[in-house]
Amino acid sequence: MSEILFYAIAAITIGSAFWVVTSKNLVYSAVWLFVTLFGVAGLFIFLYADFIAATQVLIYVGGVLVLIIFGVMLTSKIDTAKISQSSKGKFIGAVLSLLIFGMMLTVILTTNWKVGELQSVDSTVNTIGNMILNEYLLPFEAVSILLLGALIGSAMLSRKK
Amino acid sequence: MISNLQSINYYIPELILVGSILLAILFDLIPPLKKWNYYIALIGIVATGLFLSMSFGSDKSLFMGMIAIDSFSHYFKWLFLISTFAVLLVSHYTKELDGTHRAEYNTLLLIVLFGLFLMSSATNLIMVYLSIETVSIASYILAGMLKGNRASNEASLKYVIFGAFSSGLMLYGLSWLYGISGTTSFEGVRQALVSNGNPLTIYMSILMMLAGIGYKLSMVPFHFWTPDVYEGAPTPITAFLSVAPKAAGFAILIRFFGSVFSNSDLTPILGLEWPVLIAILSAATMTLGNFVAVYQNNVKRMLAYSSIAHAGYMLMAITVLSNTAIISVVFYLTIYLFMNLGAFFIAIFVENKLKAKTIEEWKGLGFRSPLVAGAMVLLLMSLTGLPPTAGFIGKVYVFSALIENDQFYWLLVVAILNSVVSLFYYFRIVKSMYLVGTDETAKVTPHPVILGCILVLSFPVILLGIYWSPLITFIQSIL
Repeated sequence: MSEILFYAIAAITIGSAFWVVTSKNLVYSAVWLFVTLFGVAGLFIFLYADFIAATQVLIYVGGVLVLIIFGVMLTSKIDTAKISQSSKGKFIGAVLSLLIFGMMLTVILTTNWKVGELQSVDSTVNTIGNMILNEYLLPFEAVSILLLGALIGSAMLSRKK
Repeated sequence: MISNLQSINYYIPELILVGSILLAILFDLIPPLKKWNYYIALIGIVATGLFLSMSFGSDKSLFMGMIAIDSFSHYFKWLFLISTFAVLLVSHYTKELDGTHRAEYNTLLLIVLFGLFLMSSATNLIMVYLSIETVSIASYILAGMLKGNRASNEASLKYVIFGAFSSGLMLYGLSWLYGISGTTSFEGVRQALVSNGNPLTIYMSILMMLAGIGYKLSMVPFHFWTPDVYEGAPTPITAFLSVAPKAAGFAILIRFFGSVFSNSDLTPILGLEWPVLIAILSAATMTLGNFVAVYQNNVKRMLAYSSIAHAGYMLMAITVLSNTAIISVVFYLTIYLFMNLGAFFIAIFVENKLKAKTIEEWKGLGFRSPLVAGAMVLLLMSLTGLPPTAGFIGKVYVFSALIENDQFYWLLVVAILNSVVSLFYYFRIVKSMYLVGTDETAKVTPHPVILGCILVLSFPVILLGIYWSPLITFIQSIL
């Protein structure tokens, strides 16, 4: 049962991602992205990563995507502009992509991936909190500097003068 | 392994840097202190350098193995400090940046500096990604600092799109390494690869890794952003981008390939042929850089392609990755810092005073500003690699490191042919400065601070060309 569910979610994720990149209309792309991001959250749940799944929905679906849609709506004439996806050399592109896809598929199938022990935990929040303040303290703090820079920069670039 | 709390004792330079970032922001918010923002940034860099020199010689793995503080990272941190200090100093006196947000500019430069510090000492996959991203995101904004200028906007946008794509590729490659090993520490990944690695998988992840690091080095085929960003960004930022992040890219490349894809004696793990891959990329990088530079008329674009070519020369030594090769790269990077920053600072002066962007517009500079033009000739000679300048000595060391391995003689031939080509386009500037007549004869001089910076940067280029042994012995003694 869970296997069927997994394949269904994976299919929805990949299928909607396909429409995101092929749709000629930016608004359609944004709406399909909505489905993709939900699908990714579903995949996280399958990995027992409940906290990350919730964050994924909160930040990407609730924040980033809504901002994208607002950006599209507030930009005049953007829904009539047909410039979002114009591709040239489709044949060569398709051949190259298929080649890379085949190569990666072979490599992925032949690799000895490390398989962790099966664990079932009630909640991952505790573990994540502990790890962020112990093992991953420096990355956690460095991210705050990175975000500070991004904040200053975006405030500066979006100001009128 | 040192615990987080104890690690702080060895992390004082970075903490001071972070402190001065916060102070710089705070000072900008208090009206009477606003003008002190610039001095806080300068004092912050000097203080960081002071405390950095006190920590010299320690060799520790900090924050649960996230970063390493050793003489290798120590040396690179000095290169970053010098280049950031010089760029900050010159930025204050260029007209180009007038009316832009000075306080944000200074703060973002310090944030990039912090990211560079992390890059030079990262020993964990997470830190590799995070440090590169810290440098990149702040640089995107710095490149687009001139908001009313279309070229600057274009530079920033192109930089973001290429940067996001290549760092995404790198992250995917890193996730493969994690998938094989189940750990993010360099040592753990190496052990897992040696015991359980499939060569094909490792090649794939090396290729994807190189997309992220190669983009910082502007290595072919990840160089497309370089000319447009270098041309459109404010010139001090171009000077900075062409030196400091490139040095950091080499630091991370050496550390990554030296400790993940090599055994402890620096031979490739599992007999992998990644040196051949790097040799091909190196030859492509220097050839493309030099041959396209020949066709450039814009000085900044030409220097952009020349910086691609120099990345190619330095990549040559990575193919060997012996101890002597690492020493030669570090030595070359030091010289490259002086000569490239110097050349760009002269370009800043010419652009400010003569509004000159193309090589033709530099005409007559040899008579209008003899001192600066003389320094430019010296720096261009060094960039070409002619004796008696430091560029020549740097090239000799890189070339001789390559001779150790007879597999790569062909690369040596390519490099020498490339140096000949580079002579042609560098000396187009010299020709324009001295041999093309002009009606304008009024003397021009740069602002004293810019002149001082140019002279201070040119001096080591001639000094290290004649008397380089103290520096090379110093590098040999610490690495």
